[in-house]
Amino acid sequence: MKFNRTLFITIIVSLFIPITSSKAVFADDKTEVEQAGELYEKSLSELLDVETELKAEVGSRSGDRDLLASDVPIDVVTAEQMRQTGFTELSKILQRFIPGFNFPRPSITDGTDHVRPFTLRGMNPDQVLVLINGKRLHQSSLMNINGTIGRGTSGVDLNTIPIASIERVEVLRDGAAAQYGSDAIAGVINIILKGFGHKNEITATYGETKEGDGEVKQTDLFYSMPLNYDGFINISAEYRDRGETNRAGVDSRDQYPSGDPRNDYDAPLNHHYGDADTQDGLLSINSEVITENGVTFYLHALYDNRDSEAGAFFRRPVDNRNNTNIYPDGFLPMIVADIEDYSFSTGSKGILSNNIKWDLSYTYGYNEYEFGVENSHNDSLGDDSPTSFDSGETRYKQQIVNLDLAKKIKNWDIAGGLEFRNENYQIHQGEEASYILGDVSNNAGAQGFPGFQPNNEVDESRDNIAAYVDTKYHLSNDVDIGLAARYEDYSDFGSTFDGKLSLSYRPVSTLMLRTSASSGFRAPSLSQSYYTATTTGLSGDTLYQTGTFSVNEPVAIALGAVDLEPEESTHFTAGFVYQPASELSFSMDYFYTEIDDRIMLTGNIKETISPEVKAILNANGVGSARYFTNAISTKTEGIDLRLNYKYQFSNKSIIKTGMSYHYNHTDVTGVNTAPSILGANGQSLLVNEVTITTLEDGQPKENIKIYTQYLYKNYTVVVNVNKFGSYKSVFGTTSYDFDSKWTTDLDLSYQLNDKFNIAVGAQNIFNEYPDKWGETSSSIVGHDKILQYSQYSPFGYNGAFYYFRVGLAF
Amino acid sequence: MKYKIKKILISLLICIILSPLLPTFAANEELALQAVFLGRFAKFIDWPNNDKDKFVITLIDENPFGKLLDELYKDKTIHDKSIEIHYVTRIDDIKDTDILFITLDNKSEMQKVIKYAQKQSILTISEHRGFAQRGGIIQLNFVMQKTQLKINYDSAVKSNIKISAPLLAIAQHVIKGEVQ
Repeated sequence: MKFNRTLFITIIVSLFIPITSSKAVFADDKTEVEQAGELYEKSLSELLDVETELKAEVGSRSGDRDLLASDVPIDVVTAEQMRQTGFTELSKILQRFIPGFNFPRPSITDGTDHVRPFTLRGMNPDQVLVLINGKRLHQSSLMNINGTIGRGTSGVDLNTIPIASIERVEVLRDGAAAQYGSDAIAGVINIILKGFGHKNEITATYGETKEGDGEVKQTDLFYSMPLNYDGFINISAEYRDRGETNRAGVDSRDQYPSGDPRNDYDAPLNHHYGDADTQDGLLSINSEVITENGVTFYLHALYDNRDSEAGAFFRRPVDNRNNTNIYPDGFLPMIVADIEDYSFSTGSKGILSNNIKWDLSYTYGYNEYEFGVENSHNDSLGDDSPTSFDSGETRYKQQIVNLDLAKKIKNWDIAGGLEFRNENYQIHQGEEASYILGDVSNNAGAQGFPGFQPNNEVDESRDNIAAYVDTKYHLSNDVDIGLAARYEDYSDFGSTFDGKLSLSYRPVSTLMLRTSASSGFRAPSLSQSYYTATTTGLSGDTLYQTGTFSVNEPVAIALGAVDLEPEESTHFTAGFVYQPASELSFSMDYFYTEIDDRIMLTGNIKETISPEVKAILNANGVGSARYFTNAISTKTEGIDLRLNYKYQFSNKSIIKTGMSYHYNHTDVTGVNTAPSILGANGQSLLVNEVTITTLEDGQPKENIKIYTQYLYKNYTVVVNVNKFGSYKSVFGTTSYDFDSKWTTDLDLSYQLNDKFNIAVGAQNIFNEYPDKWGETSSSIVGHDKILQYSQYSPFGYNGAFYYFRVGLAF
Repeated sequence: MKYKIKKILISLLICIILSPLLPTFAANEELALQAVFLGRFAKFIDWPNNDKDKFVITLIDENPFGKLLDELYKDKTIHDKSIEIHYVTRIDDIKDTDILFITLDNKSEMQKVIKYAQKQSILTISEHRGFAQRGGIIQLNFVMQKTQLKINYDSAVKSNIKISAPLLAIAQHVIKGEVQ
């Protein structure tokens, strides 16, 4: 976007002129008194029905505060809003409410089919920090290696969190690494679990797509046990069974050898392109035990076990990777994922006699991703090949010890703390048949997903320590100044120091101006530093390896790989919140983010590049190689608009609406110098046109979201309208444009009595599909080919989904 | 796109310029509700010593209301008495009061204040979790943007304070017949 920043700043400044002149007329206290005076006339039961302002904790260490009074832009999604979408996965829910939250639905992308990455504001999945009750949530051990949005990253899997356990989700739309450390570049998502005072409930949802597939059977339970002094033990459990969807087209290629009459049969539907068939069992515990002296012991824990299955590319009978003795009509390898993910944070907090608040905690997070392949074979083993394989696993573990201290001294809110973090990343080999090269053919390993080999095994750790201060100075009733600084020292790449300055000014009670500037970083993930996955091939009598090599392997070092450095970022935001009435608010925020040294996967480095490269590859027994490197710099800027309005009609019915607009634009502003060994092709190996197009245009630049809730007596109607902006996808070397689309969701619910609630609804009720690919020379990808939709489509390609929901509160 | 952004900004500018024509509003409903509840609860309470000229509301420790309580109650009456608002930071400074709103974080201090209030037949109110179980009479909490009330009826009895049925009826939880 090339909008005029000067214009924006001019307008912000100009806002002061008419409004400051009216300051004397509209004194703050007067408006508060008027508000309270109106409330004073209500009955007690009416007062209990008054909906108070949304609050958020993220972005500040001085406790929760009014969302609209925050000096940094924050969105909040409530449990009620989440429930009324009919979605059962948190990523899909947030995509409906958070402009700039992108959640494509890639398919035939190996492990990524089962843990689909999300992004915020056009940046990468690993550039978002996720917190649970303010504590860092670990990322998945999955390295997204295929050509998806987020290629070369490991993100957090939000769908491991039971929806029933969540009170609200806070999304900070600002860089905050100076407060929270690594990853908080595109923003911070803080998930607040239900705490004290929530009702027990059971909910069940059933639905399927208009096409009759993608059947969802989901049920969840939230149960709260009160403890002394309003402590609690809350347990949430959920079972979610999501059937596969398939929007693949028929395969019009010849399936059998030339001349075989079976080639004249109708073209078969032999691929799977859509949602994986997935079953999740989820559990959450959130507990606070409060002692008589006020010290609180707390624990929150999450557990998810996911079994998931999705197809790879179909191997036709004529395919040289097929063995017609095992699969006379070809086969569709099914990649199965068995994912175990759990985390917990436990600690205690209290207030010392000198009013210093303290919080000491330990956090543990673990993700294990087991890869398997079924309905496959290892072609090189001939007729004796097994048909299902254990292809190995990846694991990620993090442990954090954290001490937070906070005290209010006159006009200062001062907080600080220390943090120690240990991370561990592992790759474990698959069974031998999953990777071995037999002597029947040169097609090594399990078809669909060759297993990790013994030489791919990794067990690497690192530590880091951090010290930070986070202060806010209330200069006057109208002006707040925030200052944060954080020092970190990592055992692998060294230290970082980042700062953040924020300023908010309220010239009148209806308007708040806010701005912030900060620096940040993202430490290279251990998976980026150490991910290794290779397959074996045979050239003459010589075995060779091809694939991804970690930066510390000899072949990668010889090809110019060096230890990864952190991505470094700078941020600027400026905007305002305008609230002329309690029922109406409007905000606008501009943001600007520069990221240097973004970590990317190189292109395949092959023998053909140069004699020197060929010599290195041959000397290491490698056919082709790629590795992670600090490759490029980018600039992302954009704008967020929010409008919220609530109105009560004379018949007591209420309408609430929230409209939001998001625009972002990313430019690749620089490419780092490629290692000299890569010669003239070096720069194009670091970043090529496909990478640039994906980074700059692969995600929608523009989102519009219009949420409307209408409540009348026992009825609630929710309409959610979304505009997903246009985007581009590259096939081969050609870039294709995909138009923006509007979708509409509808949820109708009826409260039968105090306990029972029923609802029917539809997501994407008008059955909108993304554009198909244009004409291509491919026999697989293209309009009316097997894969007709781009996997970058921000709302998938399932069409309409209808559901029924029942709820019981007790 | 540039044109679209400009249109948005210009529209916004017009709205902002016109904004002083609209009634202004500070949307801290939580704070306003707390301020309002102090007086509204009083209408459902009978105190044993009802012969004072003034009705006194005292706030102990940090004052989150600013001038709101003074402004809200300056023209109002409770039980036909004009209202005085007192602000204190120490238990020793609590004078003859009908309602005591407690913002103390320190639990042992809070416990002392509750004990004192019970002896003096003062209605204690706080938003601190566990307040009612510690012997406070009315606990106000905000959960999912709605107010929740917890009333310690036993503590009210112990303080010689009578709470009428309509107030008890709307509380989410009433502590009654439990040993303290």
